[in-house]
Amino acid sequence: MMENVIELQHVYKAFKGFELKDLSISVKKGFVTGFIGGNGAGKSTTIKLIMNLLKPDSGTISIFGMDYKKNEKEIKQRIGFVFDSNIFYENITLAEMKKIIKPAYRKWDDTLFNQYIDMFELPLKKNLKTFSKGMKMKASLTIALSHHAELIIMDEPTSGLDPIIRSELLNILHNLMQNGERTILFSTHITTDLDRIADYITFIHNGQHIFTKEYYKIEEEFAIVKGGTNLLDRDTEQEFIGIHKTNHGFRALTANKQRTKNIFGDTVIIEKPTLEDIMLYTKKGEERC
Amino acid sequence: MQVIISNQSKEPIYRQIYAQIKKQILTNELKPGESLPSMRQLAKDLNISVITTKRAYEELENDGFIYSIVGKGSFVCEQNNEMILERKMKVIEEQLLSAIQNSKEVGIELEELKELLTLLYKEDT
Amino acid sequence: MLNLIRKDMILQKKTLPFMLLFLFVYLFVNVSTSWVAIVFCIVIIMNAFQTDETSSANLLLNSLPYTRKEIVSSKYIGALIFIFLTLLTIFIGNWMIHREIMQWEILLFITSIVMGLISFAFPFSYLFNSKYLLIGFGGVFVVYMVTLSFIPNLNDRVRELVQTVLSLDNSLFYLGIILSVGLLYVLSWILSIRIYSRKVF
Repeated sequence: MMENVIELQHVYKAFKGFELKDLSISVKKGFVTGFIGGNGAGKSTTIKLIMNLLKPDSGTISIFGMDYKKNEKEIKQRIGFVFDSNIFYENITLAEMKKIIKPAYRKWDDTLFNQYIDMFELPLKKNLKTFSKGMKMKASLTIALSHHAELIIMDEPTSGLDPIIRSELLNILHNLMQNGERTILFSTHITTDLDRIADYITFIHNGQHIFTKEYYKIEEEFAIVKGGTNLLDRDTEQEFIGIHKTNHGFRALTANKQRTKNIFGDTVIIEKPTLEDIMLYTKKGEERC
Repeated sequence: MQVIISNQSKEPIYRQIYAQIKKQILTNELKPGESLPSMRQLAKDLNISVITTKRAYEELENDGFIYSIVGKGSFVCEQNNEMILERKMKVIEEQLLSAIQNSKEVGIELEELKELLTLLYKEDT
Repeated sequence: MLNLIRKDMILQKKTLPFMLLFLFVYLFVNVSTSWVAIVFCIVIIMNAFQTDETSSANLLLNSLPYTRKEIVSSKYIGALIFIFLTLLTIFIGNWMIHREIMQWEILLFITSIVMGLISFAFPFSYLFNSKYLLIGFGGVFVVYMVTLSFIPNLNDRVRELVQTVLSLDNSLFYLGIILSVGLLYVLSWILSIRIYSRKVF
């Protein structure tokens, strides 16, 4: 009975030199989904499709079970967004920015807004132009969180921020998730941020959906395998998504930890993979083909 | 309730949580009927994702250590000690059986096996 | 949608009063009122247009609960409000300084010219970018100034032409102007919505 807040079905979108191919992704209600993929994998494009900033060439996109053609305003009322770049007007203050955005939302909450302003120690009367990158992200987050959004979409919110601010952000996200009604989609290439917060990981590569899994399942299924190159032959290489060979041995990624264990037994070392490993070896595997 | 998790451990985090809560229930540190923190609260406190605590709670529930009431939270089950013991004994039996089979395959005698068992038992404590 | 127009007012808050004051002062320097009014209207309207032309502003507006139709429409309705404000300032200014009530024909003339220009400028800017438009306008202005130095009484001639047009005592003629400018404006409006809906940010 798990409800999907975002559902993309067979979405296709082509640009010059880039395409999203048959993308089907769903984001579950009440959880944090970490959205990963290298530069140019299609993360931002997918997020723009979800925000209706782009329209798909074919396929359907439904948010809260609704369709942008009929319910654009209704959907956007319930979304809070944070982009990696500053999207606020630069020559005004945060107080003025609030004045501009507030009337757009039915559920705008000034008390909540002021709480975040206090918590982040943001100046209301200073020009937004003078804000540091961290302050801009906090301002963006404040606006995104002040209208009781049910879905929070963040495109690379932590890029270029120091570890302290990133940690603060993750704490806030933990707090937001307490009532179980909120859903967060969080794209990033700093994958360590996801260790602490992501329930699901959605991985796309070259415009294609590779997988969406519970975070702990990744550890159960994937593994980094290390061993001597003499173990590799045409058959055993098939076991791996990507292999990195050196004169001293190999390192490889498997998507079937148990089977790999059965095949190689104690001849190899098997370790927990990081998300970065998965991204890296998926790319490597592709180059090999 | 104390839960300390290690990110370095080979054991998955949800298994660590499962094991620690289970131990506290079996040792009666967590009393029957006592409420556990909500899985979202625990996730926040441990700084891990909700799905991890959810999985740990689900397994605790499946194994009969806790029960959940929608909208109220999770509570420690009334423990039937005999049942637990019985369940445990069965597991031990199975494990010993497979150890015996393995021993037979390579021709280890009963005496030798007993010696090994004694040695390991003492070592662990 | 009214929020979007209000947003333009807030963003122009610093420049708008200054501009209107400047306009007021300009009236002392007895140049052609119509000419000044037209330039001011265009500058104010295009200034508001430009602030929303950056990709970040488009990202923001389209992520907020507004439709693209509303975003475009707010610019067209906002332009009419800016015209009204400018004309009001001129009207009051003229009355205070020169103690004369402006002819409604002149007001109509200014409005028509500005609406006509906007009808071309908006779709053009949505399609390309207003910076090319400004280059174009600048070019026309330079050409005009150069021509002025060759034909010294060009301004007078234009004024004469305008006067003849205005003195045409034919209400049907005015009605025709109102209708055709209105139609042009609406068509441009629809065209702009079409163009903007297909934009990629």
